[in-house]
Amino acid sequence: MTTVVVGASSGLGRALAEELARAGHELLLVASDPRDLCAIAADLGLRHSAKVHTLAMDLASTADPGARLLAALAELPALSALLLPVGQSRVDDDGSLGAAATGQLLAINLHAPIAIVQALLPALLEARGVVVGFGSVAAVRGRSRNMVYAAAKKGLQGFFESLRHRHSQQGLRVQFHRLGFMRSNLTHGMRLPLPLAEPAQVASQVVANLEKTSFDRHAPRWWAIPAFIIAHLPWFVFRRMDA
Amino acid sequence: MSRKRGFALAETQLASFDRSTTARCHVQRPDRYRLLEALPADARRITRGSGVSFVGASFAHDSVVQEMGAFDRLLEFDSAQGWLTVEAGARIGDVTRFALSRGWMLPVVPGHPRASIGGCIAADVHGKNPARDGTFRQHVESIELFDPQAGWMQLGPNEDPDRFAACFAGFGIPGLMVRARLRLVPAAQAYSLRSIAVANLIEAADVLRSHANAPLLYGWHDGRAGRFGRGVIRFGLEAKDGATGKHRTHPDLPESIAPWPITAWNRIGISIMNRWIRHRQFAAQQVPTAAALFPLNEARGYFAGFGKHGMNEAQWLLPHASYAEFVSALEAEVRRLRPRISLIASKLFEGQPTGFSFDGSGIALAIQMPQPRQREQAAFIESLTELAILHGGRPNLIKDSSLEAAVLPRCFADFDNARHALRRFDPAHVQESAMTRRLGL
Repeated sequence: MTTVVVGASSGLGRALAEELARAGHELLLVASDPRDLCAIAADLGLRHSAKVHTLAMDLASTADPGARLLAALAELPALSALLLPVGQSRVDDDGSLGAAATGQLLAINLHAPIAIVQALLPALLEARGVVVGFGSVAAVRGRSRNMVYAAAKKGLQGFFESLRHRHSQQGLRVQFHRLGFMRSNLTHGMRLPLPLAEPAQVASQVVANLEKTSFDRHAPRWWAIPAFIIAHLPWFVFRRMDA
Repeated sequence: MSRKRGFALAETQLASFDRSTTARCHVQRPDRYRLLEALPADARRITRGSGVSFVGASFAHDSVVQEMGAFDRLLEFDSAQGWLTVEAGARIGDVTRFALSRGWMLPVVPGHPRASIGGCIAADVHGKNPARDGTFRQHVESIELFDPQAGWMQLGPNEDPDRFAACFAGFGIPGLMVRARLRLVPAAQAYSLRSIAVANLIEAADVLRSHANAPLLYGWHDGRAGRFGRGVIRFGLEAKDGATGKHRTHPDLPESIAPWPITAWNRIGISIMNRWIRHRQFAAQQVPTAAALFPLNEARGYFAGFGKHGMNEAQWLLPHASYAEFVSALEAEVRRLRPRISLIASKLFEGQPTGFSFDGSGIALAIQMPQPRQREQAAFIESLTELAILHGGRPNLIKDSSLEAAVLPRCFADFDNARHALRRFDPAHVQESAMTRRLGL
């Protein structure tokens, strides 16, 4: 069986690839730069004797990423799991982005994950597999920064809820992790009010949960508390927050 | 520089391992190849592997620090020939464990297991017996490097050989090393470690020379007046049957060691430690190879004991011809100035000095001292430097934070040529660290 990780070259995606390889999964890793993919595939092969395949694909510029993935999977064992730890944010995402930059953020954070899930859905249903999406605490409430990013993640969260609603009776497991602050290039150099989770730690939890049923939860779990508080802050308080 | 350019910078306080140098730096943490290329070509920068150099070789306050920790992957392994290609951020301890699990090893590894492969090349480190195995350069077949102006390049003995050679003891000046192909040797399963007591550093040199072919060979000595040079020479031979008996496995020494609130290495502390070393090291042991290669894993408390004021390690390679005279003069200085020397380590070298590499033919002495800025300590370090230069000593630039630019032309006869041989690959001084700036490289 093949496990697909989209966005496997850095941060949580790379940590997931490592954790899955350690657990003996045959992998198809997807990222934009073949240099990163080759390095990760070689390393996982040497350290964990893992079978690793790669697909270099730029999600921002590929019209039909699902079709590309299906073509790559044609030669591989049946698909059993799809993980989408993919995301991109920009510091200038403050309502001033042009159409091209907005389209790029929406393509990577929303359009591509949805297109890939829909293309691979028949195979996942047949295998009674698992699809894993990743949201962000940025989507808890709309703020004056990360505007498009947060909107896209909120949209993705909605899509995964719909997916769970439609397919949970058909054996497909739909898991959605709303990620808190995590150590990565997205957060590097930022002053954040709450501690950063390590990608390896989150990846370990995600992989440990793969055999479980559908859910939508925060990762790490304690993020549910600050997310609940922020979600229920009265507007006159929330509008003054600079977080 | 703006975060809009595709890379993020964090303002971070960085310190050298000896705690002599600190700086507030802009740190980039690239985790993809395109981020290595993302800095503007003229942005001053320096590469940082694990940041475990004694001196400030991997940061400077106005250089972007490119941390290579994410580039730690194993890329290719030829189990028949013993070739291993790795990314430059791979740690020597991890590489060693991987190689040992396949029956191979790197013959030259530095003491700190978290030193990166790029750092080992940039400092041209030596191992446990440089007289037998040379320095790191002898075990590197090729390097892939990124130059901000010229882009990516492959280097080797037959591909841009001058730049390839300049990478060793080049301290990052020839460019950002990203990958290296290493030549491994068949691994020993374990080493049988023995100790020979020596009364002084002259006797130590004789013992070192008479065991020149041992895979592991180094000495630890007392630096106190009246007991100066007394210690043990440790030598290790390959054990045929693997390690026997129980051997405690220590975790890798951390990159940064929190100092104790006080300096433990006062005169009483040094006295106790030297007694303990002499007592402990006399026992013959059969130890697993990984443990024998990284004895510093047991020395966490030792380094923490230097306290917040840190330490200085002055390491000098003295030619055989002037070694005895140097030792005699040094002992006289120790008697006169009574410095606090926590430990002296000795090693045998039989190589060829090149550029700024720490290599040559002679005996190397590494002298470690607490609180190097204290007046008495600083006076001794200055005196030691003068004595070493007077006796034709060659300093290890990656160890000694006390060295200044003015003394280097006196230590390296071909200083200007050596500096030119490095800087011709970076005439605009884009690659700069606190160390290269202090030494005028």
